[in-house]
Amino acid sequence: MSTAPSVARAYDTLRTKILQRLLDMRATLDPSLGRIDEANARAQIGAVLDHIGNFIATGDLGLHRAFLHTFLAMRAAEAQDPAAVLAMLIAIGDTAAQVAQEEGAGTTEGAELTLLLTRVTASTARAVNDLIAEEMERRMAQWSELSKRERTGMDPS
Amino acid sequence: MTVPVPGIRVAGDTNVGKVRTTNEDSMIVDSLRGLYVVLDGMGGANAGDVASQTARDAIRDFVVQRRQTMEPKALLEAAIQHGSASVYKAAQASRERHGMGTTVVGCLVIDAKRAVVAHVGDSRAYLLRNGRIQTLTRDHTIVEELVDRGLLSPDEAERHPYKNVLSRNLGAKPEARVDVVEVEIKPGDRLLLCSDGLYGYASAEAIQYLLGSGDEPQHVARDLIDLALRGGGGDNVTTIVIEAPQVAPSSTQVVRTSGAIAWWQRRDRFLHVAKERGLTRNPICRGLAPEEALDLIARSLCQAIFHDLEKSTGVNVWTFAQTVAGGWFERSGEWAPLRGLMDILAMSARTVVDEIRMADPALGFLLDVAVSRALVVAELAIGGLLAERLRQIDGNLIQLHTAMQETIDVDGAGEEALEALDSGAQFLDRPTVPFLRPDRPVSNPGVSAELIAGIEKTLTVARARTAQRAELVKQILTALEQIATDSSGNFASAVLAAREIYGVRPVDDTGVMPLFDALDQARIITAASVHQVTMPDAMRAKVLRAISGAHQRLVGATTGLVLEAVAPYSERLKEAQQQTAELRDRVAKAEHKRADLERKYASTIDQSSPWDKRGNTEW
Repeated sequence: MSTAPSVARAYDTLRTKILQRLLDMRATLDPSLGRIDEANARAQIGAVLDHIGNFIATGDLGLHRAFLHTFLAMRAAEAQDPAAVLAMLIAIGDTAAQVAQEEGAGTTEGAELTLLLTRVTASTARAVNDLIAEEMERRMAQWSELSKRERTGMDPS
Repeated sequence: MTVPVPGIRVAGDTNVGKVRTTNEDSMIVDSLRGLYVVLDGMGGANAGDVASQTARDAIRDFVVQRRQTMEPKALLEAAIQHGSASVYKAAQASRERHGMGTTVVGCLVIDAKRAVVAHVGDSRAYLLRNGRIQTLTRDHTIVEELVDRGLLSPDEAERHPYKNVLSRNLGAKPEARVDVVEVEIKPGDRLLLCSDGLYGYASAEAIQYLLGSGDEPQHVARDLIDLALRGGGGDNVTTIVIEAPQVAPSSTQVVRTSGAIAWWQRRDRFLHVAKERGLTRNPICRGLAPEEALDLIARSLCQAIFHDLEKSTGVNVWTFAQTVAGGWFERSGEWAPLRGLMDILAMSARTVVDEIRMADPALGFLLDVAVSRALVVAELAIGGLLAERLRQIDGNLIQLHTAMQETIDVDGAGEEALEALDSGAQFLDRPTVPFLRPDRPVSNPGVSAELIAGIEKTLTVARARTAQRAELVKQILTALEQIATDSSGNFASAVLAAREIYGVRPVDDTGVMPLFDALDQARIITAASVHQVTMPDAMRAKVLRAISGAHQRLVGATTGLVLEAVAPYSERLKEAQQQTAELRDRVAKAEHKRADLERKYASTIDQSSPWDKRGNTEW
């Protein structure tokens, strides 16, 4: 999904405004983002926005997935529920699209960027669900293995 | 004179909030006369609601009686004056209601292009134009007046302990000083009137976002209240949204009307594409006739998207996704077929939207964004179910693992490892004396002799107000004096004071929390004491700023000490976790060994033991 450089540039121009909007709204976007201080929130949201910029510029789904995998793992280490992480990523994407729509009202570039950001959000949601499902299947396999070990270990026959 | 303005849309809502038991807010939504008012009552013993209702009735009656004879600006101002006189009179008539009052913000719509806004107190009016909000009112608070006079910066005002203390209200005197402005209205503008229960618990950005959402005014008024409740709902909250007539329909309205219709007209095409892409062959549809599968799955989603487009919500798509995915997971279905099904539906939707775009690019673009969002909602619903399932599996795993651990008999080597763990002191029990570098520079505006005198007087009053037993609070007040009057320009005085106060204490709720409670009490006592010392307002503001800065440095230094005290234990916790993991491996090996031995010697066990077959002793 690599895209025209002009749209990628338009996103870069808007990045600061998007970040500011997200920082102002972070408490209503996500309770865990609302609890942390501005510097940490800036770092977390900034990382997602940077990655969206890269994804828009390169269209590399593999990199997109790898970033989301790391992001989910980091949030899991902070005891965040994957559903909450998904909601947060969608809220960031939606806000970015909203800012693009407001700022680029009436221009072709603004419309293109709005649509692109909405589709990036859709790809993100799809990829996050795939990652959660993969993790779930890994743990189910782990559970089956443990159950098997328990049965063989406890049964003298 | 005012007349009803055609095309104008207004809605108001109010809520008691999550903390209060009485709603002391009142409002007027009178579209016939174009009169819209929010009032926020105050005063104990149930007088706040009486004050706001008395003013409300007086303002409404005045406008009804005089609107034919007075100019709008003078009419609204006089009506509010009349409201103030009525509240004052009611307060004087009853001792219990003495001192009651109310704030007010009112709007009188003159015609489609003009309105008058008047206010007293801290209830606000906002104007939304081209997606941006601006405040039309300036709060009548003591702090805001200090900002006006250049004695406080807006940032300092935001953090000021007295930011909510009003300098004007209705009812304190028979006459009120009313601020009145005439506002030019443009097509699509929105005005918001609200009590402080909204903006005190919701950010300006969030208010702007909802007000500019394009939703119906009644939805916006309600959503704003929900926003304040989600933000804590610490006060009564009231909102009135007034929308000027639109010239051209907004994009949201286009999607709701033409977009939704264009989508629904192509429902058969959507079903056809879904069938072509193999929806009926998906394992989730197994056991269903093809037409039945198309009807149950594809048509349901198509209908859900249509209803969500029509109402600008996501609830129908959400319900659809939850029903399909929840049903599949309950049948222990795997992820791949569900992913396949969702992909088929998403691609079918995109095909239909692309065709609409070919015919009408503008409408197709809006529909593309809206349908993409609908698909995101579906993924969000499925994500919730997946996460729920993941939690269940985690729970099962922990249960199974615990059950296995309970059956393991720890051998000598394991005990040794356990002892190694036990020999470490319980890290919460140990008192600590941490260290913090004191040479971090801080900005210091300089301390004049007059300021030092003001700080000393304030803290002397504060100490006198502190309970005799509250030694820690007194110690903090003394430290604040040292820090606030220190002109060295570094963090040293704060660190030294923090270290002295911290002393030797365990890093737990009984050691650290009383310290932070005392810091908070010291802040409250100081903020109250500064007003008991006679000094010019400008100096009072400086004193408060100096003590507040000192308090922040002291809290910062104390927090640093706690972090340093905890750091070594964090390292030890990591070591302990590693040891535990090793121990678990050894225990598992021992368990296998024991099981092997049991199997090997099962046939040679002496049957003449003193237990019967059920395991009961005969002794």
